[in-house]
Amino acid sequence: MIFHSLDFVVFFLLVTALYWRLPQRGQNILLLAASYFFYGYVHPWFLILIATSTVIDYCAARGMEAWPAHRMRFLLMSIVSNFGMLGFFKYFNFFAENVGQVLAAAGLAISPPLLRIVLPVGISFYTFQAMSYTIDVYRGELRARRNLVDVAVFISFFPHLVAGPIQRASYLLPQVESVRRFSPEKARTGFLLICWGFLKKLVIADNVGIIANKVFALEDPSFPLLWAGVFAFAIQIYADFSAYTDIARGTSRWLGFELTENFDHPYMARSPSDFWRRWNISLSTWFRDYVYVPLGGSRAGEAVWARNILATFLLSGLWHGASWNYVLWGLYHGLLLIATRAHAMLRPASRRPAAWLPGASYLSPLVKVLQIAGMFVLINIGWLLFRETDLHAIVRDLRLSPGAASSLDRQAAAYLFLLTFLYSVPLWAQSIWVELTGRHDRLTIGWPRVVLQGAACGLAFAAILVLRSRTSLDFIYFQF
Amino acid sequence: MPGDRGRLRPSLQLAALVVLTLLAPAGLRLAGAWRAQPADAASSYLPAVQGSRVRAPFDPTPIGDLARLNPGYVVIGDSMAGSRIDPLVLAQLTGRPIAPMMHAASGSAWWYLVLKNLVIPARIHPRAVLIFFRDTNLTNVTFRLDDGWMLDTAAAEREDELNAVILSAMEGPWYRVDRTIDAMYGADTARRWIEPALTAEVGRTIVPSRRRRGAFMTSMNARFGLDHLRAMDAADLQAAEDREADFGRFVNRSALPLMLRDARAAGLTLCFVRVQRRPVGGRPPYQSPALRRYIRDLRRYIEANGGIFRDDTGDLALTLDMYEDGDHLKGSEHRVYTEILYERLPSIFR
Repeated sequence: MIFHSLDFVVFFLLVTALYWRLPQRGQNILLLAASYFFYGYVHPWFLILIATSTVIDYCAARGMEAWPAHRMRFLLMSIVSNFGMLGFFKYFNFFAENVGQVLAAAGLAISPPLLRIVLPVGISFYTFQAMSYTIDVYRGELRARRNLVDVAVFISFFPHLVAGPIQRASYLLPQVESVRRFSPEKARTGFLLICWGFLKKLVIADNVGIIANKVFALEDPSFPLLWAGVFAFAIQIYADFSAYTDIARGTSRWLGFELTENFDHPYMARSPSDFWRRWNISLSTWFRDYVYVPLGGSRAGEAVWARNILATFLLSGLWHGASWNYVLWGLYHGLLLIATRAHAMLRPASRRPAAWLPGASYLSPLVKVLQIAGMFVLINIGWLLFRETDLHAIVRDLRLSPGAASSLDRQAAAYLFLLTFLYSVPLWAQSIWVELTGRHDRLTIGWPRVVLQGAACGLAFAAILVLRSRTSLDFIYFQF
Repeated sequence: MPGDRGRLRPSLQLAALVVLTLLAPAGLRLAGAWRAQPADAASSYLPAVQGSRVRAPFDPTPIGDLARLNPGYVVIGDSMAGSRIDPLVLAQLTGRPIAPMMHAASGSAWWYLVLKNLVIPARIHPRAVLIFFRDTNLTNVTFRLDDGWMLDTAAAEREDELNAVILSAMEGPWYRVDRTIDAMYGADTARRWIEPALTAEVGRTIVPSRRRRGAFMTSMNARFGLDHLRAMDAADLQAAEDREADFGRFVNRSALPLMLRDARAAGLTLCFVRVQRRPVGGRPPYQSPALRRYIRDLRRYIEANGGIFRDDTGDLALTLDMYEDGDHLKGSEHRVYTEILYERLPSIFR
């Protein structure tokens, strides 16, 4: 089931209405049933996977507590089963195709068999979430839960099941286990998030997504057209993914839950590290805590740090999809981080103020703007690698010359760029407002604010009615 | 009681927020009341999917051309037909002129309009009108409906039957709710001018001259035309999802019954050719059980309504090496395919 459908609206209203009439245990059983209905709505066989993952992780965690001497075996059981599922459904064809190509290059005409199956949506999200539970139990940071329903709700909680944000067991499980009470204040802020999310998805992401799709379908893009398309994709992916997160967080609040934030105005980032503190925060912190830190983090010198960063980002790239362009995207971002650090180290000490760090209060506004603009350009280069799945096309795109475009292409690019910008004005306005005032966390209660919020939500609703795209696109992160 | 008031206030604020959200879009009705339509915009012939807009005029030229040519066969379709049939070879084989009426990236709505508004009015009597399609194209009337400019030149001022079919095809379980909300807020009316106004404003900013702007928009559309698309995108590998492969559910929400009815009334024989998609591993492409059932039902329906059905799928003569990209055949294979089809359909070609 998808958020931007009337099916979901009716489903959610029914579940919420029934939910608050039940005691806590009943609420959890309802949440589990609703989450499984939500997930199996189109392909019921997906439920076999999530149920299997849940049972294995539940048993593994229980086993770790019952037989501490064999903790590692149980952890391996969890990791192998989760990565096994992920590898089979998501990476098998990628692996087989590459093996086939290697064999072909060696003169062996053997074609490994390919799978003809649909990739279960959200498998990357819930397997990672499930593994966070067993890893935390293994580390002794969390006790294994006895109640299978609670663990199953934690893994399958429908608002964030298919596209995150990935929640830690230590954060979400206690909420699943606690008694929840309906809070009108939470519901109000949740409603705001839902409205904002729908506006971002239906009006911004889906409209600019059409522009990006058109440009990336071109056989012979010119420099300006290509970058107009990349700009459109940059807006699309942020609006799309953050919309999903907002709707997930908003609906969760109506059910008495609080999910972590996943985005903090990433296009206001002033450096690569700043960007990764703002973009897909839940995934970044997952990789930080479960890959980067166990590898040694930055504790063993610069060279090891660089290796760890590259390994983490390569894996993060591969997590996004079974394609070399995602690996390249991860590598690119890893190199950006290394280059930034190397640049800071190579500067003379006298010229190495904290000025290049975000948050330095004495930076002139102009420098800040230039840093944001520069970082936005770097992010866009990354999005080109992310969006373009054909490696030959990436090479071609990076070789395009700005001067070689026809006047039609220049005009068309300006048109598409401006149209994208117009659709994305609400995004930029919000980010700039927050950047200037830092007021995004203040939830002041008061009637004037409620009236303003009502007007804003009403405007968003009107915009959705009038400007929603005629072509409804799936959430991008569903494919991961 | 202060305690009760304290508890009541957040609930009232939540209710106020929801009410305001639902009331604010009523402004769209007010805005629509004073906003006149753009002078050159007209109601679309497909109001189910389009608001008022400037459309390209109907082009009657092909009617005269067809009448003059008096073809033995008319070929209608998209790039599936264009990348298979060589009209000259077919003309040589059959000894009759061929009229190709193909448009890349077209769908069944365009095929229907071509048949109804161009072929039938030409009052010609070809031995058959061949319509090429992939899998479920014939019962998916909304497939490739976005490119309104392509339909324009084949569409009359009103296309009520096609519009009704599209409406019914779009009618999901919540369709009426959707329409009611739109009607309640006057969203349709507002959409007709706000959306074009937005894109027109961008166009005006980029190309201030009105005359040059029209030419610019046409050139930009052409820039994103099929000949500039990547092979795989052009091929538009449409996954034949099982949900679409439900013939009984979709046939009366498609243009297929209209095509068969109009052809029968005009004394034309329609021959629907289902092309074989790209073979995999030296074998014909996989077909799900649902798709097999769909094709069986489609064949029965077409044959029961006086049409001819030809399925290329599984024809061992159509091998992988004939394919260029996606489901398209290589240019060098057009002759071969045409000869194969000629052999396979003796009832209409000989």
